[in-house]
Amino acid sequence: MPASSATATLNAGAVLGSREDTNELFARWQRDEDRAAREALVRRFMPLARSLTRRYGRSSEPFEDLLQVASLGLLKAIDRYDATRGHAFQSFAVPTILGEMRRYFRDSGWAIHVPRGAQERALKVRNAQTQIAGETGHAPTVNQLAEFLELDVEQVIDALQAIQAYETVSLDAPRPGGDEDAPSYGETIGSDDARYELVELDVTLASVLGHISPRERLILRMRFMEDLTQTEIAERVGISQMQVSRLLRRSLDQLRMLTREPAEAR
Amino acid sequence: MNPQRPASSIAAGATAVPNICLKLANKAENVLLVRQALSGLAEVILLDPVELNDLNTAVTEACNNVVLHAYDGAEGPLEVEIHACPPALRVVVRDYGGGIKPRVQSAEDAPGGIGLPVIRALAHRAEFVALDPGPGTEVRMEFATAAPPTLEEPATELGFEFPPAEADEPAAEMLELAIAPSSLARSVLPRVLSGLAARAHFSTDRIAEAQLLADTLITRTYGLLGTSHLNVDMGVTPRMLDLRLGPLHAGRAEELLGADSDGSGLGGMLDRLADSYEMAPAGSSEVLALQLAARR
Repeated sequence: MPASSATATLNAGAVLGSREDTNELFARWQRDEDRAAREALVRRFMPLARSLTRRYGRSSEPFEDLLQVASLGLLKAIDRYDATRGHAFQSFAVPTILGEMRRYFRDSGWAIHVPRGAQERALKVRNAQTQIAGETGHAPTVNQLAEFLELDVEQVIDALQAIQAYETVSLDAPRPGGDEDAPSYGETIGSDDARYELVELDVTLASVLGHISPRERLILRMRFMEDLTQTEIAERVGISQMQVSRLLRRSLDQLRMLTREPAEAR
Repeated sequence: MNPQRPASSIAAGATAVPNICLKLANKAENVLLVRQALSGLAEVILLDPVELNDLNTAVTEACNNVVLHAYDGAEGPLEVEIHACPPALRVVVRDYGGGIKPRVQSAEDAPGGIGLPVIRALAHRAEFVALDPGPGTEVRMEFATAAPPTLEEPATELGFEFPPAEADEPAAEMLELAIAPSSLARSVLPRVLSGLAARAHFSTDRIAEAQLLADTLITRTYGLLGTSHLNVDMGVTPRMLDLRLGPLHAGRAEELLGADSDGSGLGGMLDRLADSYEMAPAGSSEVLALQLAARR
């Protein structure tokens, strides 16, 4: 249980302290504006922010980024907590800290896009798959990938899902007139050509690339044919990684729309 | 985030038929399968990632509670029911142990357990209910979602009794999954299956094959299911998955497994990808039983 270490810390008494002790610190901060008391409170409840970050942000942004957001939430909770109401600080702080992280996700466009962390992991997993298969002669297990990339098993499974979802869209596309529910790529899988999917992806892209600007085409090619990272592409094309990310997203949305048209027209 | 609501009961499980039922052992690694099922559902009902993250976090806390505390270190069932009726989404996490209840009552003052405050903060409403007759506890959670309703109501209860499994693999861990409508299975089953296949040391290629097979099975069994829901019984041992799907209309095996006009078909795919498969009688219907080995 990844969360257990944090829980253990909490149980060890860092937070428990004594309630009177904690209330005393709150009084010193809120009544007397004693900054040392506020700092002591932050230190005392930091394990809570850490634990919530780990639980709520398990598959998302880099841990340290999110921990900063959680710490901000903790500060807000410390400043707003009213000890005279008789509730433990913790039950007030948990929703405040979670609310802060939630707002951060909303503000950073999480609600609309696949989180950046997840995208980057999918790419890493795909590259590692190819690399390990090349070295050992067979596809790795999830555990091997997890160990190789220092990810947890679930992150690898989610990444595989994301890769598959992307490739399925492309694979489904060049079979107009087929029944959408039929396994369009079914009859071909099971053949020995492991690179089949990539070839197919290439064909799909080629058939629709006319609709996309030359620069977008180049970026797509670097990203999916040459397996370059967004940062590497940015260096080669001479734009920022953010721009690459934006262009890729737009191109992919366009591709998806184009390749889905036959299905929606039916 | 957690406004006070009128204290009406969250009736999930009592009046409405859930869309997904999972029966698992209370093991830490099974919580992953619950999250995979939630992700599959999220895809169908168009939950946004923030909503899914809230849902995942709260349900994980409830499941972890069962894993860590419900049975005092012993093994016991962990049941999860998911009912999607946008704009509400209800999840019930149930155990038959005695461990959670006292923790629930003292949650306010138990700094060690932040699971329950997290559930309270993330769910629109949450209830902790002792089963009557006990022992056991239900954590009932309701989430508000912005997603439009996209699923039809399940028509019938999800129950289906598979005949007893042959006992040649006594070490297998058994899991049950029921999904309605069966179209939902297309995004839920492959995900749950990949979680299990990872545990059974399948390679990523083999996992992709298992997912493809699951997807094909679901699309091909649409018209052949005896009910509006799909039940899947799963056994996992190191390097082997046992699956049974049902209930299928009796006597339709030919239709299910036979070749299509172009020579392909489920039978051919099973020949290539499964290590064994058979149609077996189950009461008045049939089930498709298949084995997938890790291979190399």
